[in-house]
Amino acid sequence: MAEAVPLVRMEEISKAFPGVLANDRITFEVADGEIHALVGENGAGKTTLMRILYGLERADAGRIYWSGRPVAIQSTEDAIHLGIGMVHQRFQLVPSLTAAESVTLGQEPRRGVFFDRARARAVVQELGARFGLAVNPGARIAELSVGEQQRVEILKLLYRQARLLVLDEPTTVLTPQEVAQLYEVLRRLVAEGRTVIFITHKLAEVLAASDRVTVLRRGCVVGTLPTREATGEGLARMIVGETMPAILARGGEPPGPPMLRLERVSAADDRGLPALVEITLEVRRGEILGIAGVEGNGQKELVEVATGVRRPTSGRFLLNGQDLTRADVAARRRAGLAVIPEDRYTEGLSLPMTIEDNLIATRYRALATRGVLRMVAVRAESAALMRRFDVRAPHPRVSARTLSGGNLQRVVVARELGGEPAALIAAHPTRGLDIAAARFVHQQLLEMRTRGGAVLLISADLDEIMALADRIGVLFAGRIVGELSAAAATREQLGLLMAGRSATA
Amino acid sequence: MTRTVVRPQWVGELGRSFVTFSAALVIGALVMVATGRDAWGAYRTLFAVAFLGAQNLADTLLAATPLIFTGLATAVAFRAGVFNIGVEGALYLGAFAAAWIGFTLTGLPAGLLIPLAFLAAGLAGALFMLIPGALRAYLRVDEIVTTIMLNYVAISFTSYLVNYPYAVPGLANAMSPKIALAAQLPRLLPPSQLNLALIVVLLLVPLVHWLLSRTTLGYELRALGSNPIFARWSGVPVPAVILQVMLLSGFIGGLAGAGQVLGVNYRFVDNFSPGYGFDGITIALLGRNTALGSLIAAVLLGALRSGGATLELFVDIPKDLILILEATIIFFVTAEFVLTFPRRRHAGVH
Repeated sequence: MAEAVPLVRMEEISKAFPGVLANDRITFEVADGEIHALVGENGAGKTTLMRILYGLERADAGRIYWSGRPVAIQSTEDAIHLGIGMVHQRFQLVPSLTAAESVTLGQEPRRGVFFDRARARAVVQELGARFGLAVNPGARIAELSVGEQQRVEILKLLYRQARLLVLDEPTTVLTPQEVAQLYEVLRRLVAEGRTVIFITHKLAEVLAASDRVTVLRRGCVVGTLPTREATGEGLARMIVGETMPAILARGGEPPGPPMLRLERVSAADDRGLPALVEITLEVRRGEILGIAGVEGNGQKELVEVATGVRRPTSGRFLLNGQDLTRADVAARRRAGLAVIPEDRYTEGLSLPMTIEDNLIATRYRALATRGVLRMVAVRAESAALMRRFDVRAPHPRVSARTLSGGNLQRVVVARELGGEPAALIAAHPTRGLDIAAARFVHQQLLEMRTRGGAVLLISADLDEIMALADRIGVLFAGRIVGELSAAAATREQLGLLMAGRSATA
Repeated sequence: MTRTVVRPQWVGELGRSFVTFSAALVIGALVMVATGRDAWGAYRTLFAVAFLGAQNLADTLLAATPLIFTGLATAVAFRAGVFNIGVEGALYLGAFAAAWIGFTLTGLPAGLLIPLAFLAAGLAGALFMLIPGALRAYLRVDEIVTTIMLNYVAISFTSYLVNYPYAVPGLANAMSPKIALAAQLPRLLPPSQLNLALIVVLLLVPLVHWLLSRTTLGYELRALGSNPIFARWSGVPVPAVILQVMLLSGFIGGLAGAGQVLGVNYRFVDNFSPGYGFDGITIALLGRNTALGSLIAAVLLGALRSGGATLELFVDIPKDLILILEATIIFFVTAEFVLTFPRRRHAGVH
């Protein structure tokens, strides 16, 4: 494989953004017909490198060779023309179009001046059968599951004759079953003569699905190696540049008395449809209760009801025995509740505000005397939080917008855990974070547990739930369909519950 | 290592406003050149009649005084994402309240009468905002619609007052009695009408800046304005903040009215405002909803108005040029406003 001319060779690619060298003389090769995993922390330069390849960014220096021939990729049109396609982390689909329309959009089959719907459907059906990407061509995007939408995105690239498919973190939105199907699709793509680059954070995926792997760290290539020669621990070390503890240290005191309790809570979603149905949960002191489940099964509403931004239609919310069902967000927070919201960019942070402002968002009143902020205390407090939680920023009073995703989450975690809360609701707390940042968040959750805090952990990442939780509840269609002790739970059992089937079926 | 120079965010923001202002000047120049006039000469003259010489400068600042007030009044609301268009109404009610104090409590010394008149004006403006403020805060009634409509109510109400209960017999125009001499603000640079109201508003600028940056209310309104969802999740009492912001905006709007009555007209004159309250919107947007920015924007607009008034005397430029410049500025700032704010609104406060 190494002797053949690589399909793509990116040579000495450099790209600087203000304050960061995103790519530092990266040389990266992908052989024809392989599945190449590109891994590294957030901010390691993976996405930037791929955006350069796809013509979304211009490199400051370096050359790109396509099948040995030097090429200038100045726009996505150039990239598509060469046969390069990319599926972004956030899908770029129009909800009201059908699958067939989405796939053919921009290069529609025509009959005269009209859209040839029948042929578009046939094309989608044929491509789907060939690559194992079954999608109902007549279904509207809005009706499709996330996994199916991803298939539409991949079909779009195949319809445009892409030879090289770049998938940016394709598995983050999928259920375990859908992930397995995606691996199958990747193998079919390769069997049909395509080449795949996929960006990921997850080592298990690299090992399961790739032929070769390239690790980036801080904008440089750490190494490229055949996957069969790689081990999870070895890769992790390359990624973070240090050894990872094999297992997260758990244990400690057995859980204490109940701290956080939801009692027969029902709630409606934004459309007024039932989203939570008579949910009863209890988290004790020194315990992490994990809520697993495919997104869209009531997780969002559960977090909102517990935080106090959504009123339940019935049921009670208790914190440390105190009924806070009618209490607003501020009152709940005063009572010792902390929240790491699902979306740090909208719910967790105000990007135009400074880091300092973001750090004091839940305690600015405590830092004020008669309505006037004690600036000395504000500065000291935020500086202490930044130090303690290792928020890396040039200055506390720069806009939060300037920070990377991992550092932004550190700001949220610092704010929420800095005050040593009695209970924490953590919604997808490591989503989109690199390994080092995710590990940091995990350690913080475990520390909170150790000191007797109650943690309600809602996550779509089964590995995360299994690694951290003492008990695991599975949320499906707004109900808790099963509760298992973490020690006894298996991925298969959880996967079935998440899919709405009972564990014994 | 890259060294980061920490620069307050508003520096960059005001930079964008500078571009807006320059663009307006360029378009104005194009219009003049297209109609065969000397653009460079016009701008040089405009600058001279607006800023050079004590009296010219005083007249510019006189024109700017009410605009600084209304700019600040609008900026505090907009900064919170609350689109109060009712500053004009607050200004009228404040003006009448100040006049009433001035012609009723005539026995009081200036040291008591003037602060009392300003206070009454502020309270009148705040009271006026209680209606749209509470509707917005607790029932989510769109404040843009209510404040626009209530402006008419406020203006017509003051018009009624000076036409009937407080009408002065024998005067052709509807106006209140003259305020006591003690209530009249001292002139700063006679013969210009520039008066103590300028000092009042110049003290208000740092006060508003301090309020925005150093108080819990300021923090809350910045959080709300920059990301309402975040504010809610953090525990900011959103309805209470909206109400307080509206009251504050109305209070400052009321002060604007007092400044004109006590400093320039010495009485309440029916329909006296050429739209100072609405100018506040342009100024707040041009000043990026900051206190200092509003001050700068108001002085620039004041310079255009006061310079424009005398420009015709010196060069062959119709004062419509000023309207073109103002319209261009309004066009640019509104375009940006329309493009960026509805998104935030939509993200919305619930």
